[in-house]
Amino acid sequence: MISQKVTFVEARGNIVRDCPGTKNHICCGYKTIDLVEGCILSCSYCILKSYINSPDIKINKDYEYIFSQLSEAIDKEKNHVLRFGTGELSDSLALDRRYGLNRPLVQFFGEKKKALLELKSKWAYIDHLREYLNPYTIISFSLSPQSIINKEEKRTSPLYRRLKAAKRAQDTGCFVGLHFDPIIIYPGFEKDYEYLIHDIGSILDLKRIIWVSLGLLRFPPRLFDEFMEKGRKNLLFGEFIRGEDGKYRYIKAERIKVYTMLYNQLKNRQNDLFVYLCMERSDVWKTVTGIALDDNEGLIKLFDKRIHDIYGGIL
Amino acid sequence: MIKTPIDHINIHDKRFCITYPLDDVTLYTSIQKMGIIQPVMLLNVSPFVPVTGFKRLEIACQLGLKEIPSIAVDITEQEALLFAIHDNIQRSLNLIEKAHAIERMLHIGFSVTEINETMEILGLQPHEKVMKTLIAVASAEEPLKHFIVMHNLSMKIVNYLTRFEVNERASIIDLLSSVHVTESTIREILEVMNLLKIKQDKLPFDTLNPESGHELMKQLKAMTYPILTSLHQQLQDLQQASALPPNIDIKVDPFFEKEYIDIGIRARNQEDINQALEKLRRLNDDGILGRIFDLTKGNLR
Repeated sequence: MISQKVTFVEARGNIVRDCPGTKNHICCGYKTIDLVEGCILSCSYCILKSYINSPDIKINKDYEYIFSQLSEAIDKEKNHVLRFGTGELSDSLALDRRYGLNRPLVQFFGEKKKALLELKSKWAYIDHLREYLNPYTIISFSLSPQSIINKEEKRTSPLYRRLKAAKRAQDTGCFVGLHFDPIIIYPGFEKDYEYLIHDIGSILDLKRIIWVSLGLLRFPPRLFDEFMEKGRKNLLFGEFIRGEDGKYRYIKAERIKVYTMLYNQLKNRQNDLFVYLCMERSDVWKTVTGIALDDNEGLIKLFDKRIHDIYGGIL
Repeated sequence: MIKTPIDHINIHDKRFCITYPLDDVTLYTSIQKMGIIQPVMLLNVSPFVPVTGFKRLEIACQLGLKEIPSIAVDITEQEALLFAIHDNIQRSLNLIEKAHAIERMLHIGFSVTEINETMEILGLQPHEKVMKTLIAVASAEEPLKHFIVMHNLSMKIVNYLTRFEVNERASIIDLLSSVHVTESTIREILEVMNLLKIKQDKLPFDTLNPESGHELMKQLKAMTYPILTSLHQQLQDLQQASALPPNIDIKVDPFFEKEYIDIGIRARNQEDINQALEKLRRLNDDGILGRIFDLTKGNLR
């Protein structure tokens, strides 16, 4: 049930934007499409609470306007394969069954054949889209241990449903993305993530996972106050510092330890799995993965190579 | 104005009392010398109910006075409370008094709009969260009220305090009363204690034995931020081992987040530069700079 008011708004300004990124952190060069602003899932740690002033959901259905901006961005880019997503200011699939928002985008990318659209979600329903899916759409799920879903992502789909939906997407011929984001440090989290990675290995075809992101919990100061007030033990259990961008994040030693643990477990399952760190510093990248990245361009090139390895010359 | 016998007044009825504390040494001395000059306001019911002048009434009782100058009024409960609030508003009310005013208004049945208006007049933000804190404070235990007034604590700090259980608050007040603390130190300490309680479900009062507010903060931070504390300790040890002359300064990001360190040299001439560079070269050869870089990379020993 949707408790927030849903309004359709007229497209204005830049609907297609660069991911804002973070100072001195490596960004993957993702492009965002602000199709929906606001989310019905209300995860306890959601950063949208501090980005968006209104609790209402705003939907932009002016597809001609969106397509013109997408075409301009895609045609202008000569060096890289662009990746677009609608999951920056909302969940990509949570409202899709009711409003059919993604179908035109999926069809646009299928016809364009020059860039990828990623639908990133915690809502495991894709059946209405299956007949329209094409190789240029990546169905992605954010994954957390079920104990975190129970406590912090109460309105989202259970883990097994997300994994099953990802499997169904793979079965239709799509590649899927997995996002361990946010990774939360809480008592016993190591074991829970080990089981989670085990479940992924048993349910999904690892060769049809295009990328896996790892991103430890980070949030602006306003959310820190809220977590304190609400006594959010899971979210505050780890050791936080204020990063250069002013956001709270786990202290670097903890980040390296957790990323290394997950990176190694994922790589042990499938050595050529493409695992990247979301918004991390170059020294953390180097310590965890052995990959030296000086700037965003380095990571964007890794994505290009990954896409080339999978799609060959068709993109 | 008439003189009303004190035993005709229900002095225990505090429904219009917002004043805190009722003790007032200056007023006591004044009344002892001059008697009560300003009449108290009483609600004209039997027995009379005090509307204003609670301190005067309290002192009159303490001094054993038999009657008190008063004005009896025929007004509603709501009007009486507004009289009580506005009678006191001419002076600067403390947070407990503001809390009493709002809590009484809520109890007597004022509308939210009326309460919000009064909150604004009292310099409070008319938010639900603020109101919740005020209501909690109005019915809080006496030592907490006393502590809040004594340190003139802000709403933010009071909000932190209300998140603890009554027994925890008593221990916190004991602890903070045993050391010299400023308002900003109290805020910092309560924030860390709050976080520690969330992380560990309880506060380790038995392991805290501070000699100063600074020491208390240090002990709490070591429990709440063990990795950061360890990194700072290691950095301090390395800085001591490096025996840097005063003209060389090595700065490390306080959260060990940045990958680089800043080295500053203050030089008056080329000789100073040569000596500083020689010192840095030795520190580099001895591995001390390398170990500092290790700390910035999150490498704990």
